[in-house]
Amino acid sequence: MRWTILLTALSMTLAGLTAGAQAQEASVSISVKNHQFQPAQISAPANVPIVLHVKNLDSTPMEFESVSLRVEKVVVGNGEGIIRLRPLSPGRYNFFDDFHQETNGVLVVR
Amino acid sequence: MRYVGKRHAIVALAFFASSIAARAQDDSAFLREIETKYVFGFTEGSGIGLEGEKEFSVDTEARLGKGGTRYWGSESKLEFEFTPNQYVQFEFGPFVSTHSIKNVADLDDRQQMTFGGVFGEMRYLLLDRGPSSPLALTFSIEPEWRRIDETSGAVVNNAELEVKLNADLELVKNRLYLGSNLLYEPEATQDPDHVGAGWAMESKGGGSLALAYRILPPILIGVDAWYLRHYDGAWFNTFTGDAIYVGPTLFMQLNPKAFITAAWEVQVHGSDVDDPNAKLNLSEFSRQRAKLKLAVEF
Repeated sequence: MRWTILLTALSMTLAGLTAGAQAQEASVSISVKNHQFQPAQISAPANVPIVLHVKNLDSTPMEFESVSLRVEKVVVGNGEGIIRLRPLSPGRYNFFDDFHQETNGVLVVR
Repeated sequence: MRYVGKRHAIVALAFFASSIAARAQDDSAFLREIETKYVFGFTEGSGIGLEGEKEFSVDTEARLGKGGTRYWGSESKLEFEFTPNQYVQFEFGPFVSTHSIKNVADLDDRQQMTFGGVFGEMRYLLLDRGPSSPLALTFSIEPEWRRIDETSGAVVNNAELEVKLNADLELVKNRLYLGSNLLYEPEATQDPDHVGAGWAMESKGGGSLALAYRILPPILIGVDAWYLRHYDGAWFNTFTGDAIYVGPTLFMQLNPKAFITAAWEVQVHGSDVDDPNAKLNLSEFSRQRAKLKLAVEF
């Protein structure tokens, strides 16, 4: 009985923490068309997890990549990729398309 | 005539250097951040790869020279590496052990290439490099099991644990990096002399400093220096000798998904408790060591 109460309290605490974390997530979107990021600069708040939606409007695949964000993800042609970023400190974080090296963008965290 | 030749060589060298500098300058706006893990030679940078990245590599470390006619001992790791999230990286795989030994004191002559053992590694990012912080720090732990002794090439049952702190500092943005490692490496070998003596314990500790400069967007050159100490016993129990290695390093990005890294180091100073007059330690360490790694990401 005591264990049941303890586990219930623990799961409620975890659920509360998760809900709190989700409430603090920032959602940011960016598109790629004609091998250009649109917009080329996006912004997000500092110190909260960021969910980045990358829409590839070209028919060929692209690979979203960034060393400072420490992610790489292939997004198929006419598809969408979702990238979860850790909480970031303020600053500029460059990214590019690894399949089309001239395709560059920047995430500004404030 | 010799003077003219020399002058031509100097002019050509100056032209080459200035063209590299000009190209580097032109490319400065397009210099991207790099993964620092493999740019320092034997010193490992703090990089843990990118989330979602997978890599296969052949990583060979060779030890050359121990007196006598010939000494070569190497291990080539066939590594699979992956980064499941933005904080942790894992590596594992088998390795091939190669020895070519002739007339070296205390070692049997040997000519062999065989399956040497298996290894695994976990790296955890302790301190993140960011726009406001040029310093990054990673903790790594690498257990290894060997069936071939890395020095003698004899069949053994050996277990080793390599524990490292890998730090690097971006001195000039996207250009110049300083790397440093702290090493603790205990190991145990079951009855190495086949006399029923149980497990023999030893340990190695040390530190390194390395510089890497990006001369072109895909190429870094640098210098790496290591100070290593060897002990009997797993906890730095009895000091047996030390060595200092120094040498050049090279990192080259061949294309967006492949790179090569190389290093060569010479023991410039060493001491051996069993031979107080020795200027080098060739019983626990080799005269030279080299590293060559070819990696393909996918």
